[in-house]
Amino acid sequence: MTLTRRSLILGVAAALGFNPSGVLRSPGGRAHAAATASAQLAAEPAAAALSRSQLEDLVAFAEVLVGDGPLSPVEREYLVDHIERRTTQGGGYYLELYRTTAGLLDSLAGARFSSLDLAQRGALITRHRLFSSAVRPEENLGPFPKKAREVRTRAVPDLIGGYYASPAGWAVVGYGAFPGKCGDLARYTSPER
Amino acid sequence: MEAEVAIVGAGAAGGILALELARRGIRVVVLESGPRHDFARRPEYVRRYVRGESPWATPLPGLDRYTVGGPVPYQLGGRRARGVGGSTLHWEGHALRLHANDFRLKSLYGIADDWPISYQDLDGYYAEAERMLGVAGVADEPWAAPRSAPFPLPPFSFSYSDGLFTRACQPLGIALHHLPQARNSVAYAGRPQCRACGTCQVCPTGAKASVDLTHVPQAEATGYAQVVTEATVLRLELDRSGGVSAAVYAKPDKVQHRLNARVFVLAGGAVENARLLLLSASREFPGGLANRSGLVGKFFMSHPSIDLTGRARENVYPYRIGFSTAMSRQFAIERDRATHGAFLLEFLNSAGPTPERIAGASGQWGEALRTRVREEFGHWLGIRVYAEQLPDRINTISLNANVRDYFGSPAPHIHYIVGKYERKALDDAKEVAQKILMAMGLTDVRSTGLSFAAHQIGTHRMGTDPGTSVVDVALKAHDVPNLYLVGSGCFVTASASPPTLTIAALAVRAAEHIAARLRPASRGDSTAHPAA
Ligand SMILES: Cc1cc2nc3c(=O)[nH]c(=O)nc-3n(C[C@H](O)[C@H](O)[C@H](O)COP(=O)(O)OP(=O)(O)OC[C@H]3O[C@@H](n4cnc5c(N)ncnc54)[C@H](O)[C@@H]3O)c2cc1C
Ligand code: SF4
Repeated sequence: MTLTRRSLILGVAAALGFNPSGVLRSPGGRAHAAATASAQLAAEPAAAALSRSQLEDLVAFAEVLVGDGPLSPVEREYLVDHIERRTTQGGGYYLELYRTTAGLLDSLAGARFSSLDLAQRGALITRHRLFSSAVRPEENLGPFPKKAREVRTRAVPDLIGGYYASPAGWAVVGYGAFPGKCGDLARYTSPER
Repeated sequence: MEAEVAIVGAGAAGGILALELARRGIRVVVLESGPRHDFARRPEYVRRYVRGESPWATPLPGLDRYTVGGPVPYQLGGRRARGVGGSTLHWEGHALRLHANDFRLKSLYGIADDWPISYQDLDGYYAEAERMLGVAGVADEPWAAPRSAPFPLPPFSFSYSDGLFTRACQPLGIALHHLPQARNSVAYAGRPQCRACGTCQVCPTGAKASVDLTHVPQAEATGYAQVVTEATVLRLELDRSGGVSAAVYAKPDKVQHRLNARVFVLAGGAVENARLLLLSASREFPGGLANRSGLVGKFFMSHPSIDLTGRARENVYPYRIGFSTAMSRQFAIERDRATHGAFLLEFLNSAGPTPERIAGASGQWGEALRTRVREEFGHWLGIRVYAEQLPDRINTISLNANVRDYFGSPAPHIHYIVGKYERKALDDAKEVAQKILMAMGLTDVRSTGLSFAAHQIGTHRMGTDPGTSVVDVALKAHDVPNLYLVGSGCFVTASASPPTLTIAALAVRAAEHIAARLRPASRGDSTAHPAA
């Protein structure tokens, strides 16, 4: 069976107990669901640039970086979309970077990173300062310094940027329409409701 | 291949000219260097655009190569487009007439030169261009020259932030007015009303006028116009009588073809028109075709520009529309331009960082990041300034034989300076804009460095004297009987206003001359006007 990217996302979402048809949440209305990203999926994605587990690791990593709780299925879709675009258009660079990232996360976790719950992922990221793209010259980067530097300086800003450039990022500031999404012509004339 | 009129370039000038001639029953072939962009692909183009890619980028490697020299590098990258529609594919659609004074700098202020035509000469052509492009506006500009016809479409409303600017400007004696737009405030000419998609350099709906939508298909529909795409003209050849006999062009396979015609029109933009003339040097014209004056490529101009921004305490709701709706031409008209250069103020509807930029710069993560983005977004207001640049012979487009394009032709070289006059105008503008921003109580008021509008002007100026100009008032080359040069290359001075509505008006006018020349008996139209 061949899965589309969308069915992959919805598969992850369903496994996490979300309503897959849920649209972008409002900035205030956060989804509260059990937070484990370890969905077991039936098949490999069609675009096999990254393995399923690598993709899940990256989304699970980004989930901790970009917000304060579990992401909705639609938000995950934006992230997967971003990662896929990078890997198909980035001339191999991003594929390498993402593989390095997933590899580092799994090594540090001693398990699949995406199998950890949100709190565990947050603790691991804090412990290894994997949230910060700024690396001080004398900083101890842990057991895999080269990879950690790569992940912090390249993957972290990339994943954060990918999320906040997406409709999810605009939703954070309360915009349902934004550059690239058409809307109501009168809206720009008064304050946002 | 043969035509009555061969047009090089299917951008603003070429597209308009093609329709104006074809609707009169004149057989036109347009050679366009770029592709035809399928409108159905616009949604995909928008996605690429919001990711920071240019869907209008030239597909042939090296075709847009150019070099810069002089103290201020004028970069062409992203400031023009090849394809059916030309640079109107990604223009902003701000469609202003020049002011009557803009045509008379020498007589009124003793600087630069007068145009050989007046605002009054162009008024009717402006009206026609506005009708065809569908310009939305209202005559609320206190300084505007009189118009014989109203705007064809109602104006776009002022934005929320325009209201904030207005309140601050009033006590300072500065008047805001609507910015005329070549985009549909209501459905018009088969194109829909603007839907606030916010990506006007790639409009997904077609509400923004671009000649690939407003003129070229209509020209083709007459049965008299044919557009050959991916056909780059390499040079023009002369016959024994001194007229142009053929345009030599090549497709991407580099095989050369000839197009014969009775009349040739260069509509490739100010840079490419000059370059093509220089590339067409011959025994008769060793310094370049139509260049006995030595002025081809000279007097290149643009609009030096800066942005000023400041931070408001409250949210000002940016990024909800893709274009600016208010401006002020007060400082472009009401000054002694002998000593004070003209500038106009554009009040931006989108300034400051996007959520992505805030997130990228914050150094935060998790909940703190989300909070930072939410708190930081939406507080910036901005004013963009465009200054008039005076014609200066030193600003030149020439050929760089050391750098070749895709077809092996020498690349254009741009030598560019911004003089004291323009720098003083920018300083004045900065002062005015700062005053407005401070009056609004904004903090962190700052200005960007010097930049330039995507307007290339001059290079084959219009005039009555063949010794001091390249084309006459009909835009016919002084030196070549069947060659016309259209576009902003023929402007004598740049004004502070964007050029394209004037390019359009001049193209309509040039078409009238060419038609009268080719059909001396019947000066009227042979087909109905498509947008009528
Ligand atoms: C981002 C951007 C925003 C702008 N915003 C505004 C605005 O708000 N208001 C305004 O007034 N102006 C604006 N402009 C400028 C406006 O687009 C130009 O003034 C106008 O399009 C110029 O018309 P043109 O026909 O002379 O040249 P173009 O529209 O550039 O068309 C020239 C055409 O000729 C073709 N060509 C060139 N050389 C050859 C050759 N050798 N053989 C065959 N074909 C050739 C090119 O491929 C191109 O399609 C903007 C421009 C840009 C890039
Ligand atoms: S705001 Fe949207 S619909 Fe309107 S002109 Fe711009 S891109 Fe087109």
